[in-house]
Amino acid sequence: MNSKLTPRFLIIALVLTWAVWAIWPTIQYQRLSEAEKETLREEGKLEILESRTIKQGLDLKGGMYIVLEVDLPTLVENLAINKDAKLQAALSSVRDQLLISPEADFFALFSNISNDNNLKLSRYYYDFGSSNEVILTALGEESEDAINRVLEILQNRIDQFGVAEPTIQKQGNQRIIVELAGVQDSDRARSLLESTALLEFFIVKDITTTNELMVKIDQTLRGNKDISSIVKDDSADTKTSIEKDDGTVSVSELFGESSTENNTDSSSVTPSIVAEQPFSSLLRNLGNTIGVPAKNSYALRKMLELPEVKEKLAAVGGKFVFSNKAQDYPTVDGDVESVYSLFLLEDQAELTGGVVEEAKANLGPQGTTSAGQPIVNLSMNSDGARKWSIVTGSNVGRQVAIVLDNKVHMAPNIREKISGGGTLIEGFANIDEAKDIAIVLRAGALPAPVDIIEERVVGPSLGAESVKRGTQSVIIGLIIVLIFMLMYYRVSGSIADFALIWNIVLVLAVLASLQATLTLPGIAGLILTVGMSIDANVIIFERIREELRKGKTPRAAIDGGYNRALTTIIDANVTTLIAALVLWQFGTGPIKGFATVLFWGILISMFTAIFVTRTIFNSFTSGKNLNKLSI
Amino acid sequence: MRIIKDTNIDFMRQRKLAFIISAVVILSGVISLLVNGGPKLSIDFKGGTLVSVQYNEDMDITAVRSAMGKLSVDGQDFDFSREEIKHFGDLGAVLIRVPHIDDSPQNFAQKIVDHLYNSFPGMVPEDKSDFILGKGTVSPKIGSELSGKAIMAIISALGLILLYISIRFEFRFALGAIAALTHDVFVTLGLFSLLGYEISLPIIAAFLTIVGYSLNDTIVIFDRIRENIKSSKKESYDTIVNRSVNESLSRTIVTSLTTFLVVFILWFFGGEVIHNFALAMMIGVIVGTYSSIYIASPIVIQLHENSIK
Repeated sequence: MNSKLTPRFLIIALVLTWAVWAIWPTIQYQRLSEAEKETLREEGKLEILESRTIKQGLDLKGGMYIVLEVDLPTLVENLAINKDAKLQAALSSVRDQLLISPEADFFALFSNISNDNNLKLSRYYYDFGSSNEVILTALGEESEDAINRVLEILQNRIDQFGVAEPTIQKQGNQRIIVELAGVQDSDRARSLLESTALLEFFIVKDITTTNELMVKIDQTLRGNKDISSIVKDDSADTKTSIEKDDGTVSVSELFGESSTENNTDSSSVTPSIVAEQPFSSLLRNLGNTIGVPAKNSYALRKMLELPEVKEKLAAVGGKFVFSNKAQDYPTVDGDVESVYSLFLLEDQAELTGGVVEEAKANLGPQGTTSAGQPIVNLSMNSDGARKWSIVTGSNVGRQVAIVLDNKVHMAPNIREKISGGGTLIEGFANIDEAKDIAIVLRAGALPAPVDIIEERVVGPSLGAESVKRGTQSVIIGLIIVLIFMLMYYRVSGSIADFALIWNIVLVLAVLASLQATLTLPGIAGLILTVGMSIDANVIIFERIREELRKGKTPRAAIDGGYNRALTTIIDANVTTLIAALVLWQFGTGPIKGFATVLFWGILISMFTAIFVTRTIFNSFTSGKNLNKLSI
Repeated sequence: MRIIKDTNIDFMRQRKLAFIISAVVILSGVISLLVNGGPKLSIDFKGGTLVSVQYNEDMDITAVRSAMGKLSVDGQDFDFSREEIKHFGDLGAVLIRVPHIDDSPQNFAQKIVDHLYNSFPGMVPEDKSDFILGKGTVSPKIGSELSGKAIMAIISALGLILLYISIRFEFRFALGAIAALTHDVFVTLGLFSLLGYEISLPIIAAFLTIVGYSLNDTIVIFDRIRENIKSSKKESYDTIVNRSVNESLSRTIVTSLTTFLVVFILWFFGGEVIHNFALAMMIGVIVGTYSSIYIASPIVIQLHENSIK
């Protein structure tokens, strides 16, 4: 063997050894059974192993990806010391503008509107400074602080929920991205994240006030043209809008099938009663409380948003709040319908969740009304306990509503003054829900509401299917290309095949050591690498063939071929690298995975296809005089 | 083994015909885009809700349609019977796409899943998490941001490539390459519109890869042209270009073939999720190979002739 070749072999040997070393944990991990993983986890060794393996993206492993956005307008509104119509009008016009141009900066818009309307921010935010500018800067800092707190609280909630490897990160200045791999119950995880965890205690207005108010609302709405539209509105609205962009009428509609269905489903009340009592005709009497059949609840919510109804509510200083879940009640005609409860509450809360010190989920103790039911036990700090004893003491005999995220969980009667600060909440569907509520109460309320603006869930079965199909495609693609090269270029083809296999192994090794995430598009990138990275060898081999046809010796042809192909290969690959880099910069999640694989695949192919194959060729041709080259 | 023996095809004489073919394909694509009011965008860009579920038995789409025609959440009625509802992979899997609705109920995607689950009792797996293949909701807000980012990504990729080729070759080569790329993206976009496929985030990634791939092809030919110009000064410009295309033809065919084969396998075996991505790549490989021969090189000749005059 030529001594000049030794350093080249050394480099190749080193790189290949490194590749095997880097990829080994991934292979090891793949072969572990669930039980073995569990043992390793207990020994604390699993994490070390996991940190050296290629991670599977959410699209392969199944899981959920959620983008939350902190509601800045509401946050700023909540920070105001006194809120009047003028401030609310300004904020709502900022909200409108944000709907039109979502990328606009909230504070810039708020600043413009305040200046245009001569809104003196010091009236609402005197704690933050005197001039508008100072206040806006302070509010900006405050909101940043609030988002960091949201991040912390969400982190806390997820930790207690118990998910392996959650990722929670801030994106920009008002968004938070949460990735939860392998979550089975996406619905539950979602409500855990979304809940503001705003706990409030309200006194329920007495039944006479409630009845009087309902009569007043009925009077106001009587003959109101908008009402008839609301009650039928819900179904008609969506229908017409769909008809507009399609223009065709379905068969079921021609035969009147869907319309009769819709009639039974939507707000079903006889027209004459609606005209007479538009509001209360939607309600049911459930003895002590008012019931809203689920099918009427949309219409009722719409009605409560009407300005004239809001006016009536403001006049009595109250607000209507729905119960958190609907219960089944038998109807007159023997059916069962699910009904929400509706409560008229004082519009100011007596106490808020900030006083909660500890929250625990439990089953209700024997001998109480909640025996065997899931409950949450609360204990309050001393300040809270004192206030709670005053509230309960001065309202004995009345109902107190425990409201979480603007939904009434329960509204028990106060039998006597509660002095210890301990209280319990019931009204949960199951113990899991109670546990989740306890988690959010412990982690604390969010300083501002969050909206889920993007949600993607991949079920575990689809993920597993993708892994299977993806791996299959890679293997089949690889085999076909390997065979093709062998047939087309003979011995030289086998050298290229050797390089190609190492190319794939090296890409995986780099992914493992970068702790990169392999996504389905990433697997596609791997397949593409198989197809494209062979190109460098094709260019070289075609050149060598050309040189051979010119009558050069194999040795000279190889030298000439490699030398002349080099610039071509570099120029051609740099442009694909540019595309991969741009993709990496622009992409989120799966796309980034694709770009990463493509980038490394091309880069590594330059090493394997040029350096590795050249070394092998050289070792063949050096020393002995080769007359014929199998290419 | 050799597929392509020494060839001497007069590619450059066929360029007028090629221009006409390209023009027809692009034009029909553009007409289809205009008629449909732009490309069909996925929820990634437009916002909306996508739900895919797996039934135990084969499902009849008409039955799903009629079930989706009477979705009611708390008295708010929706008729989605005319939205996009189709099989997703096998006949038991169903995919439903619903546009964004302003006052849609909370957790709407789950409500749709629940409705689909409850509408066909006895045909669904007991565990609901086995029923959900996937669901996604994107607000139009995110969508419009992403559209802007995608356009920026394509433009900046083209810009950087133009810069690189201008430095390594000459400016007219860069123009030729960019013309070929724009051609490729438009043909693929047009074909997607004609076939009624939607443009999603992975498709944008496919477009950018097509850009990279087509360029790879173009540059190999350009490199040959550059080399041949240096070595032979006697021949006319278009003879040199034509010879260069012929000389690199064998490589062009072999590489395109291997790349096409792997992408075809991805399309065939890769599963539903990656299906359209692979299709875009397949179209891209063919169009990219064609354009490096029939678009990029002729334009370089044309620009050279113009510069002499």
